[in-house]
Amino acid sequence: MPHRMPRIMTGKILRNEKRGVFYRTEVSVPERVPFMPGQFAMVSGWNGNDPLLPRPLGIFRSEGDLTAGIIEFVYKVVGRGTALLSGLRQDDLLSITLPLGNGFSLDDAGRIWWLVGGGVGLSTVFPAATYLAGEDFHMFLGARSHDQHPPREWIPGWDTPERITLCTDDGMLGYNGTVGAAIRERLEVLSSSDKERLTILACGPKGMLKDLAETALPLGIPMQASLENHMACGFGVCWGCATEIRASGGAEYLRVCKEGPVFNAGEVLW
Amino acid sequence: MVTTAETPDLSVRVGALTLKNPVIAASGTFGYGLEFFPFYDISRLGALVVKGISVEPTRGNPPRRIVETPAGMLNAIGLQNIGLRRFKDSIVPALEKSKAVYVVNVYGRTEEEYEVVARGLSELSSLAAIEVNASCPNVKEGGIAFGSTPEGLFNLTRRVRAISEKPLWVKLSPNVTDIGVMAKAAEDAGADAITLINTLRGMAVDPRSRRPLLANVTGGLSGPAIRPVALRMVWEACKAVKIPVIGIGGIQSAEDAMEFILVGAAAVQVGTANLRNPNACVDIINGISGFMEREGIMNLDEYRGTLLL
Repeated sequence: MPHRMPRIMTGKILRNEKRGVFYRTEVSVPERVPFMPGQFAMVSGWNGNDPLLPRPLGIFRSEGDLTAGIIEFVYKVVGRGTALLSGLRQDDLLSITLPLGNGFSLDDAGRIWWLVGGGVGLSTVFPAATYLAGEDFHMFLGARSHDQHPPREWIPGWDTPERITLCTDDGMLGYNGTVGAAIRERLEVLSSSDKERLTILACGPKGMLKDLAETALPLGIPMQASLENHMACGFGVCWGCATEIRASGGAEYLRVCKEGPVFNAGEVLW
Repeated sequence: MVTTAETPDLSVRVGALTLKNPVIAASGTFGYGLEFFPFYDISRLGALVVKGISVEPTRGNPPRRIVETPAGMLNAIGLQNIGLRRFKDSIVPALEKSKAVYVVNVYGRTEEEYEVVARGLSELSSLAAIEVNASCPNVKEGGIAFGSTPEGLFNLTRRVRAISEKPLWVKLSPNVTDIGVMAKAAEDAGADAITLINTLRGMAVDPRSRRPLLANVTGGLSGPAIRPVALRMVWEACKAVKIPVIGIGGIQSAEDAMEFILVGAAAVQVGTANLRNPNACVDIINGISGFMEREGIMNLDEYRGTLLL
C-alpha cells in the first residue's frame, strides 16, 4: 500500500554522513513507512521558531517492520534548514511528517525505464531504481562537475555499470555534457519498438526537466517529472507551492506537495 | 487525585456560540479542513475557519508565493479557492460528517460578491458563523479595499449583516492606524465578533539579483514574529468594543494562547503553527488544559481580561 495516509513521527538520528556535496541521514522511526519513490517528508530537527518551517526531503529509503523502522534522506546543504539538519548527531531527534505527495507510477509491466537525476534529484531517482531492480532500466546521473557526483556505492545497480550513465558538464567524468544531450544520443540508436516501450522519469533542476520534456514529449515518450518548489506546509493546506498545470480551457495552479511532486511532464507549463 | 469537579472547563462563548475550547484553526492555514483528517479528529477543535471562499473559483497569484523570514513567513497566495458552489457541493458534506464546528471566511471583489457568498453560505444549517475577510493584503479586491477605512468596513459589515442571520465575525487588518476605531466600526455595523489580526504587509528581496522574492512583490507576514504586535492590537480592540474579540497572530503554544485570553480575547485562532506542525491545534488545546490545571484556573471566564496593570 504505497499511498498511505501521512503521519507525524519522532525519529532518532542513527547516522549523519557527509560524502562530497551530499549528506545522508539515517533515522530510526517507530515503524516501517511504506512509500512510493518520489514521495517526500517534511522534516525539522531544531528548537525554537527560527527557521520556522520544516524542510521537504525526498524519502531515499524506508525499511523495517511494525515495531521498528529506518528512514533515510539524502540532501545537499542549500540553506539554513538543511545546514542545521546536516549538523545533527547520533541520537538527536527529528520531527517527520510522511509520506507526502504522489510518487512515480512504476507499475506498468514491460516498459523500458530511463531514470534521470540531476544534482540532488538522485535522492528521488535512486529509490525508483531500487523499486525497478528487476525491470529494464537505465539511469542517467547529471552533475556540474565530477566532484558533485554521489559516491559509487550509493548508486543502485552500480554492479551493473552498463545500466548507469554518469554525465558531467565539465567533462571530467563519464559523458561530457548534460543528461539531456546524453539522452538524445541514446535515443538516436534506440529501435522504434524500444522507443514505444520507453518511459522517462526525472528529478532535478527545472532547466534539466524542461530540456528533457522538450526532447521526450514531441517523440511521444511519456515522461514523469518530479518538481521542487518552496513549501510551507507540505501537506496541501497553504497553497504556497502552486505550479501551473494544463487544465481544460487553460491552466490552473496545482500544489507540488499534494497533486505532485510527480507530474506528467506533458501537463506542466514549463 | 483529580476529581471531575477539578477538571478545568475549556469552553468559551463567542457571542451566541459556545465552543468546547478556545482554539480555532485559522482561515488560510487549514485548507478546507479535510486535509487534516489523516492527523486528528477535527471535531476536537473549538472551531475551524475554512479558507476564503469567493463567488467563483479564484486562480490565485503566480509563484513564488511563500518566503520564510526570521521567526515568520510571508505569503502571497492570492485567495486561491474552489468557489462557493464547489465548496458547498464537494466539501460541506464531509465537514458535516466530521461534526466539526466550521466557520467560513468570505471575500469578494465587490460588496455585492460578499453578499452573494454570505447568502449562499447562510443556507447551510451546519455553518456556525461567517467570517468576513476585510483584510487580505495580497489581493486588491481581497477585502483590504473595504477594511482599511472605518467607513468602508462599516458599510461592508452592515450589508453582510443585513442578508445573513448567521453569527458574523469580521476579520480585521493590522495595517491601519487605530485598530480600536476599526473594531468599533465593525461592532456598530452589527458584527457579532471580530477576529484580529490578519497578516502584516511585508516584503522580501534578493540583494544580488535585485528582484523581489514574491511574484506579488509584497505579502502577508505571519508567525511568531508578529505575536507582540497582534497581542497589543487585541488588547486595544478589547478595550474599544463590547463584542467578543478573537485573538490571532503568531500563536504557537498554549502559553501564547493564554496571553491573548489574558488581555481579553474570547477565543484564539491558530494559523501558521498548523503549517509547521499539523497537530499544533490539538497540542495547544491539551496544553491549555495543562496550564489551567497547574495554575488552578477552573474556567477561562475567571482568567480572561485579568491583566494586572
